[in-house]
Amino acid sequence: MSVIAPKFKLSEFIKSLFDNAFWGLLLMVLVGLPAVFMVLFVIEMPVINGELLTPFLALSWIADPSRTLPIVHAFMATDMFRIMAFPGFGFAALLAAGTIFIERKMLAKLQLRVGPFYCGKFEGILQLMGDGLKLISKEIIIPAKADKPIFWAAPVLFVATAAAFVALIPVAPGWVVADVDLGLLAVFAVIGFFPIITILSAWSANSKYPFIGGIRALFQMVSFEIPLILSLLGVVILTGTLNLSEIAASQSSFPWIIFLPVGAIVFFITMLAELERIPFDLPEAESEIVAGWLTEFSGMMYGLVQLGTYLKLYAFAALFVVLFLAGWHGPMVVPPFPAEILTEGIVMGPITAKIPGLPLFTQEMLNGALWFVLKTVGVIFFILLPRGVFPRVRVDLLLSLGWTKLIGLAFVNIFIALGLLYAGVLGPGGLQ
Amino acid sequence: MVGELAGNYSTIVLMFAFGIAAMAPALILSRMISPRKRSNPVKFLPMECGQVPSGEGRTHFMMQYYPYILMFVVFDVMAIFLYAWGSALLELPKSATLPMMGFLAIMFGAMAFALYQSGRRRIW
Repeated sequence: MSVIAPKFKLSEFIKSLFDNAFWGLLLMVLVGLPAVFMVLFVIEMPVINGELLTPFLALSWIADPSRTLPIVHAFMATDMFRIMAFPGFGFAALLAAGTIFIERKMLAKLQLRVGPFYCGKFEGILQLMGDGLKLISKEIIIPAKADKPIFWAAPVLFVATAAAFVALIPVAPGWVVADVDLGLLAVFAVIGFFPIITILSAWSANSKYPFIGGIRALFQMVSFEIPLILSLLGVVILTGTLNLSEIAASQSSFPWIIFLPVGAIVFFITMLAELERIPFDLPEAESEIVAGWLTEFSGMMYGLVQLGTYLKLYAFAALFVVLFLAGWHGPMVVPPFPAEILTEGIVMGPITAKIPGLPLFTQEMLNGALWFVLKTVGVIFFILLPRGVFPRVRVDLLLSLGWTKLIGLAFVNIFIALGLLYAGVLGPGGLQ
Repeated sequence: MVGELAGNYSTIVLMFAFGIAAMAPALILSRMISPRKRSNPVKFLPMECGQVPSGEGRTHFMMQYYPYILMFVVFDVMAIFLYAWGSALLELPKSATLPMMGFLAIMFGAMAFALYQSGRRRIW
């Protein structure tokens, strides 16, 4: 039971509140506002409606909702919005948080438990927020002989690398953070950083369990990188491009999983291994080596590693959707916007506010993002499912599975793709 | 041309930087609001399930990985060559596939040798 501190005095508490408010205001006036004006003076403002946007115009337009929209439109076209919000970090982190909650509830149902239940009125819906608050208020303990800079940097680098992976995923037509020609190779390059970060953090902890877990993670990720790379070659052969947006766009009539089921299965299994999910969760096997390479992480460092793990899970599931399940393609279910909304604006309630150009996203973009999210959630479900079903495999079985069977199947997949191309089923003159 | 290429890829680096910029404050904030008053040497010992840790943290142990390393060297380089061929396949004439098949045959030979070596457990 928690009690109020023994020396608590209400008057001093109120005084401290006023003190804090005073210092906050003073700092804002003396430092914050000048900083804001300096930034506004230096940054390049966009041209909107034929006028160069100045800080004065921007501030006066924000006061009027009907004139704010051009600013919002201009902001949504910037790289900053894409990185921070929609196809980038915010969107992925939201999906990752949803994944954590759904995993806990679904796993509990599979094992005839109730899972998180008390936090929040309905089915423990606020459990994740509670966990976050708990993690952020816990003390971070670092082992005495750890290599401190690397140990501190590892969780942040893990999240940042997962974010760089998310940057390559196209969510809807034209909505991708980094639309690069060699997107698939860039994905492989980013994936290659995960084992390095893992082994660095494991080495820097200077403790036995993290070290064993880190070595296992290194072996597992390196072994499964080869079948991962080879299993995607079939898609590249059939599409003739490495750009992920073009690969997704090429599946407008049928997804590649119909023609390359072997490649899809191999990619899915290697995905499980790269994500350290059961049945391949040897690097963090709880019943053998405490928590594997996460053993010495405490408090928010552990929280960051978890966030990075689930961002990576989202990114892999999204990559599966883009490569094999036709990305954003799907029947048009979003109704078209009425024409008067685009020209006249929306009439809201008793106060008539006419705001033309209100739907910030086009119909195609909304539909594409909807289908993409639905498919991604489906793939995430299948990634989570084995955790309630399968036991863990031994390390030698894991390695021989990766090196012999999956590589062989990946080559079978390549020959299937070549056969389809040369038999004239797909490619020029074929179905597409 | 080079600048344009770098501009395309710079958004990946920007996203990486945003990941760092958004997550490092979480650690700093946690360090600021979390309690860190009581301290004793036992608290900072490495985790060893309640036992007093003994020996080195970074131990040496055999992982019997050599045949797989051999295969990694074979395949990691090959896979990227295969991507160069696969992404240009639609523009190439069909006869261009034959040398690739020869290349693959040589690689399969190397793979078979490595698998044979990995099966000989007594030489590990």
